[in-house]
Amino acid sequence: MSTATITPPLTFAGAPASAWAFGIRIWIAVVVALAASFWLELEAPSSSAVTVAILAAPTRGAALEKAYYRLIATFIGVTAAIAITGLFSQARDLLLVAFAAWIGLCVYAAGLMHGNRAYAAVLSGYTVALVAIQQIDTPEHTFETGVARGAAIAVGIAAIALVNDLLAAPDSFPQLVSKLAALQRRVRDYAKSGRRDEATDTATAVGLLRDVAALHPEMASLGSESASGSMRSAAARSTAVALVAEVYAARALKAVDATTRPVVPLSDWASREFQRRDAEVRQGLSALHAGTRPPQAWRTPLYRSHPIAAAAGIRAAAWLALPAAFFVLAGWPAAAVSLSLVVIVIGLGAATPDPKGFAVMALIAAPIASALAGTLEFLVLDGANEFALLALALAPFVIGATVLTTLPNRLLSALGRLNLIFVLVIFGPSNPPSYNPQTFLFTSLFLCIGVALLLFAQLLIPTLSAPHRQRRIMASTQRDFEHPLFHHNWRLAPEEAMFRDATRIAQIPTGGTSPQDSAALAEALSYFDRAAASRICRVSLARLAGTKLSHYEAEAETALAAQDTQRLCDVASNLRHAARAEHDLAEQISSDLVVAAAVIDAAEHPAAPPKESVS
Amino acid sequence: MMHEFSELVIGSVFVAPFVGYAVMALAIVLAIRPILHLCRFGQLFSHPAVAELSLYVTILGLLTVAF
Repeated sequence: MSTATITPPLTFAGAPASAWAFGIRIWIAVVVALAASFWLELEAPSSSAVTVAILAAPTRGAALEKAYYRLIATFIGVTAAIAITGLFSQARDLLLVAFAAWIGLCVYAAGLMHGNRAYAAVLSGYTVALVAIQQIDTPEHTFETGVARGAAIAVGIAAIALVNDLLAAPDSFPQLVSKLAALQRRVRDYAKSGRRDEATDTATAVGLLRDVAALHPEMASLGSESASGSMRSAAARSTAVALVAEVYAARALKAVDATTRPVVPLSDWASREFQRRDAEVRQGLSALHAGTRPPQAWRTPLYRSHPIAAAAGIRAAAWLALPAAFFVLAGWPAAAVSLSLVVIVIGLGAATPDPKGFAVMALIAAPIASALAGTLEFLVLDGANEFALLALALAPFVIGATVLTTLPNRLLSALGRLNLIFVLVIFGPSNPPSYNPQTFLFTSLFLCIGVALLLFAQLLIPTLSAPHRQRRIMASTQRDFEHPLFHHNWRLAPEEAMFRDATRIAQIPTGGTSPQDSAALAEALSYFDRAAASRICRVSLARLAGTKLSHYEAEAETALAAQDTQRLCDVASNLRHAARAEHDLAEQISSDLVVAAAVIDAAEHPAAPPKESVS
Repeated sequence: MMHEFSELVIGSVFVAPFVGYAVMALAIVLAIRPILHLCRFGQLFSHPAVAELSLYVTILGLLTVAF
């Protein structure tokens, strides 16, 4: 017997070596960005360092994709800033109202998107804060500020891209391959597990669908990684869609095993279907690994709720209006800087599932970042003018915060991310360095006040509650199910529509403890099963068009629309008997119909009411 | 002989010629990506990212010298 030895990953001070390498890369990129900005005598050199901090991602593809969207969003934001300033340059209050409306619009757009696109939408919003609001008393400088910011961001992006390329930052796709392969193993285990109690079954299936849907941003980021990136991205998308279809096939297999209908042996058919889906996932994985085109190019449509996004947008505008009104009425100096930081917190929070939690985190991070920036500026550097000293002094702050972002603890990770950005914003490296204690004190104080005000505004106008969002999503699930040809569904392949349904299930908010949550998830999964079964049957039935058996198509369609499983089985049986020439086709279609009947039966009459919670 | 660079003027705003070269080189690299994929460019090198960066720098250099 041989034993395999697994080398444990190298760790230092509790963090793996890869996290330290990531930290050092970000520090070098910050230093390169600052050096280039100082050399080019840019007006806003600290923006380039902050750009590097915002784009800090452990893999090359993720950083590049975010950089791409950051550049586009800055362009849109600067254009909007010039337009808003041009329209309301004489009326400061109207300018703030227009700005709050623009932020609301951007947050609404972010609610309709995912990953880095959502970030770009949010960034378009807060770029206006950084460009127009900071120049609120000198609107004639808006254009110059916009150009200066654009140049600094371009330098920051070039710095991080260069450092990531030269220092061999890891690619995203090996991680994605292992995540998808692990999901495939879980789906196989799920299929093998047999029919257990309904609650565990639902929890496992929902967990699988959520985990597949959660990989969407990573799949998108593969495109920018290398010359084969677009192929890899297509392969990853197809694999994810095939995985969702495999989950459905596993559920169909269970439904067929449990069916009490006296029908032809269907287990073989359902298990062949499961094997076919499994093979599709395998092919997708090998295409992803090799960087070749996948056999099937499936898209990954996302479910987005317009009412929920609109509600989030209106709230974001209101949250901004309160601190903005406070700062305007107070008439303090440096209020613009803190207002722009508040906007960053609103914007970045909008891209997270829990904006209020993010604001709380920002409130904790703000004093820590102020203390750290003060230590860096007045204790460590304390009047030093040499660039080498600045670079060395930045090292512990940047590397430490970056390593924190990689930790599994979500609190520490969020604190690390916020501190990395806040420290650089408050410190604001410039050439020559200013070392102005008054600026530092005002910026730190207003940052803390601004975030506290934001949290207060969020308490006054709370986010859309989880049960409310749950109801909205469930209503849209039901509407889509009752009108299968409604909206965008008609253009999607059954597998793609299944993926869209999986992303909808992933968005159902659940605390994880209440029986209502479990019931909502079970209902959503039941709709998922029935919709998938109906779509697969419709595609199969379309193959009957032009044959002598085409009249069965309309009959089966009616049975599907009514979810009449007995009638579906009757049509399947008639079809099987009537077929002469197209025997194989009729056999396949009738099997699909009977499997659909079993799935619909199982979805409508679950074995036992849900008892357990879903985590 | 000195190489003369023509200023890039967008809406009466002067932009450094280098910015134009950098953007053009990026566009060229992105345009030839499908060809690089067909040539299995990534598999020729141990660090394809560095190879692609070098290609970008080469194209940028050629553009600067040629135009």
